[in-house]
Amino acid sequence: MKRHLPALSWPRLDDAPIQVACPFCDALQEAPRLPEGDAAHCCRCGEMLYQNRPRSLARATAFSSAALIFMVLVHLFPSITVTAGSVRRELTILEAAAAMYREGNPLVAVGAVFFTVIAPLVLVGGLLYVAAPLRFGIALPGAKSVTRWFQLCEPWSMLEVFLLGILVALLKLGSVGEIHLGVGLWALAGLVFCTAAAMAGIDRLELWDRLEIALHKKP
Amino acid sequence: MEIRSAAAQGLASCHLCGKVSPVALGNCPRCHGALHLRKPRSLERTWCFLLASIALYFPANLMPIMTVGGIGGPESDTIMSGVISFWRKGDLLVAAIIFAASILIPILKMLALIWLCLAAAGKTHASPKNLARLYHLTELVGRWSMVDVFVVAILVALVQVGALSTVVPGPAILSFAAVVVLTMFAAMSFDPRLLWDRHTGADLSDTHE
Repeated sequence: MKRHLPALSWPRLDDAPIQVACPFCDALQEAPRLPEGDAAHCCRCGEMLYQNRPRSLARATAFSSAALIFMVLVHLFPSITVTAGSVRRELTILEAAAAMYREGNPLVAVGAVFFTVIAPLVLVGGLLYVAAPLRFGIALPGAKSVTRWFQLCEPWSMLEVFLLGILVALLKLGSVGEIHLGVGLWALAGLVFCTAAAMAGIDRLELWDRLEIALHKKP
Repeated sequence: MEIRSAAAQGLASCHLCGKVSPVALGNCPRCHGALHLRKPRSLERTWCFLLASIALYFPANLMPIMTVGGIGGPESDTIMSGVISFWRKGDLLVAAIIFAASILIPILKMLALIWLCLAAAGKTHASPKNLARLYHLTELVGRWSMVDVFVVAILVALVQVGALSTVVPGPAILSFAAVVVLTMFAAMSFDPRLLWDRHTGADLSDTHE
């Protein structure tokens, strides 16, 4: 395994200069290679085009594997436990969705499962599946479609909104009974942080450039 | 140096991987995603999602979002009556969060998208830089409206304590969730590059390529 060399631009398939079009104003311009930590901005509208995140693959791998571990904890342990007399209620994400289903809102329940379980899992798992082997210059089978899928899932992953929902619900619950915050809540906070850090860890263009090289070399 | 747009040279950047290739190829040579100069039928699609979400916004706000059964009999709350009761009880923070997420953000998002669509169609004139900033903002805050749906789901799961009280989701919850999803689709189908096209004098809003 190669040691990390700081302040290098990421490799590209072609040595020839390439062009990018700004996603906001479509200005065609040359895409310079950037040292780590730098960002390129559009020369017409100033929108950020791409950036070279330091230790991108290592960060994406580390944070997405940490997020996966947190995800297991989130589903295993309740985030809030309410005890009122002999009645005890425990809240997990799936329990909230199941309650919606039981109360006659199957569509909302399916949506909630998609936004808080499936989309985050595809996002984090997909990133790990692609980024970890790329550290060794390898693309696993289906890496291209996995990347496409997790990019599509990104806007629909709403764990941070669910976390805010838990906080609001806590304030709303008031004096229903004895309220305990559980491991699930801290794990959810960790999951939200790690997911955000993993996604911010690597630029979309860098991921595709590296993926292109890995796929090119395989056959 | 004269700045030219990629579309003027028949080049399209891939929606997924960002590679710039001739639009005539049809599919991106790198990730096989479909290539378009602009998002296809961007304005039509945005208007459709927008109108649908505006229509659903009425039932979402007029019908009860949840019914709390207690000692004094069942009590239905719409989004606004929930906010008001929290304000009266002195829970200003909860009232402010729910008001911002469930009422302010959806309305502002719809108004912003209407304005963006009008600007992209050339009906209003504003600096494309500010409009782009507005578009960024609508994309960023839209998802947070979903918080009320989650709050109801969490309360339903936690407060089914039979003897004490019950929380039952109301019919508004489905329409409200649909409003959030539809405005997200509206923001996704809007192509901000149309704003600059208008600014530079090109009209690509009907490009189907």
